[in-house]
Amino acid sequence: MGAKVKTIARRGSTLQERIFLIEIFKGMATTFGHFWRNLLDNSKLYVRHYPEVKPEIPVRWRGRHRLTSHEDGSVKCVACFMCQTNCPAQCIQIQAGERLDGKAEKMPVSFNIDLLECIYCGYCVEACPLDAIRMDTGIYSVTGKDRESFNMGIDDLLAKQGAFTEEDYKKGGA
Amino acid sequence: MADKIKLFVNGEEVEVESGKNLVDAVSAVGIEIPHLCYHPALGADGNCRMCLVGLEEGGPPLVPACKTPAQEGMKVLLDAEHIRKIQHDVMEFELINHPIDCPVCDQAGECKLQDYYMGYDRKDSRMTVPQVTKSKKLDFGGGVVHDQERCIVCGRCVRFLRQITKTGELGIINRTDTARVNIFPGRPIDNRYGLNVVDLCPVGAMTSSDFRFKQRVWFLKKVPSVCHGCAKGCSITIDHNREKYQDDIIYRFRPRLNQQVNGYFMCNDGRLSYRRENEGRLTQFRLGKNERDMLDVITGCNKEIAHSRKTVVLVSPDLSLEQMVSVKALAEKLGATLSGFSDGYIKTGDGDDYLISDDKAANRKGLEILGIDSSRKSFEEAMADAELLINFNNDLSLSYDESGIRSLLGDTRTIACSTHDDELTGQAHFALAISSYSEYAGTVINCDNVLQHFTKAVTKNNELPDVCAIAAELGSPLQNAGQAYAELQRAIGALSEYQPADIPAEGLNLNDSEAANVTA
Repeated sequence: MGAKVKTIARRGSTLQERIFLIEIFKGMATTFGHFWRNLLDNSKLYVRHYPEVKPEIPVRWRGRHRLTSHEDGSVKCVACFMCQTNCPAQCIQIQAGERLDGKAEKMPVSFNIDLLECIYCGYCVEACPLDAIRMDTGIYSVTGKDRESFNMGIDDLLAKQGAFTEEDYKKGGA
Repeated sequence: MADKIKLFVNGEEVEVESGKNLVDAVSAVGIEIPHLCYHPALGADGNCRMCLVGLEEGGPPLVPACKTPAQEGMKVLLDAEHIRKIQHDVMEFELINHPIDCPVCDQAGECKLQDYYMGYDRKDSRMTVPQVTKSKKLDFGGGVVHDQERCIVCGRCVRFLRQITKTGELGIINRTDTARVNIFPGRPIDNRYGLNVVDLCPVGAMTSSDFRFKQRVWFLKKVPSVCHGCAKGCSITIDHNREKYQDDIIYRFRPRLNQQVNGYFMCNDGRLSYRRENEGRLTQFRLGKNERDMLDVITGCNKEIAHSRKTVVLVSPDLSLEQMVSVKALAEKLGATLSGFSDGYIKTGDGDDYLISDDKAANRKGLEILGIDSSRKSFEEAMADAELLINFNNDLSLSYDESGIRSLLGDTRTIACSTHDDELTGQAHFALAISSYSEYAGTVINCDNVLQHFTKAVTKNNELPDVCAIAAELGSPLQNAGQAYAELQRAIGALSEYQPADIPAEGLNLNDSEAANVTA
């Protein structure tokens, strides 16, 4: 089927338009109109005063990762490598070891995410069979002073709590 | 070649070998009959019922394919509605008490339960009562860890230890829900083939404590190769992987089916010999104690060789045929005495009549076929007035004790080309690191005169030259393994019609081709 075609009249051929100066002044009038209006009263401005005012992050926003833990604080992850397998950026590096606390047989000895390589696609969260990795920290701005500081270890990932209530998180489609 | 018979599977005519059961016969033509307890090396047991197939006309309507010989004109039903239902029901039954701990199970990825669930079941569990729980993580000894919950009681492990090793450490105790595989109290698995039960187990009930949690199997690259642990030369699969920012290392050896050599199995020592490929390797080139560039050391070696009035070249019986040919050509060029002396590689009484050989050298037959003298007498005579010894990875510490080596070497200068860094390499005047058998392609002949070719599996970050390359640098007229192979084809008549890639995976049995036709 052919697409709907809308014909738009070509502009720029009248005499007034061909003497560019008039059109330029008309444009400048619009520009300065906005300039003076915003300078005198900025309450209607469509701009967020970042970083003083932070945006509200929706629950489903894929922020920086964290590892979730059981109620007693032990890590939920059992080192099944599903996230590492599914990661298209190959930014997750896990080393598995024996788990002795009776929760499972296996646990991660080290769990590294290189945030400089991560593309924040959320496939790790989708792949996890145990809800052990989430991207619900609400951290959308990851900064650091050197490369090493972007390499999150297991302790860094466990330290941060989720930014939302369990109920909201579940409602968000998880 | 066995006789061919014709039978029908799902109405289609297929030609299969006679004298086999239905599972083996039709799998040879690419039709899979699912089975859990049956294993070709252990025979049919018929306890899992997964291989039930329908027969049209004659005989009972349902038969276990593992116990039914393929017969002319048989009409086998595999995809009929009622067969599908049986397969589904059997799978549902197997999975009733299965813990589904695939995330922590090392078998995940090569598990028959996973494969057959996806192929024949694909339904949720209908269990409404609590699952039967059993013991997990039992140490059965011999490096085997057992999980009774994952076990489907197929009895493959029990049959292996009774039929093949004849040690019978395992048994199935109790019945129905409480049936479980266990060792007798205080009598762990204690035989030199025990780790084969890990491969045999179709599910994750038997896992290896050595490989446990090291790597998920889908990350592993699998390359066919040949074990260099002893003269038997079992066909193996090398499972290796390069983790990000790490070096390529081997995680395990597994036996590879080769009816001419090792069948389905291999010994524990061979299986664990992968560690030697990862650890203790020599990676530097040294002049005395100082690490130098490879070319500097080679230049030094060449000067040394030019000055030496009498040179002895010693080869390891582990080298591939190509490498032996290269070294032989080098020795001829230098006018040096070539020896393959390696009596220390033979551990008398260590072998058995199955897969373990007394001789721990992988390619001693190669030395013989190439006419390389390996007698102690001629080697020691040559060493008596030698000025320079070029040692190609022959571990002299196996043949001599410390004082023996000291009196043997005397003030002889040594060039040590070695895969591993040991005391002798440390004392050598020149030390050159070379690649080991997982890092090059080559050909070896085992103790039964079976010639096998293996390909390169591992690519290290710091790739080391192989013996052929070092020999060429030291003056061998054969520049690389390809030229060495061409030379080899002249020496071994049976090879003349084969390129390395064409040598069958099962190997060439030189006994029934033309071992007598050796010209070298």
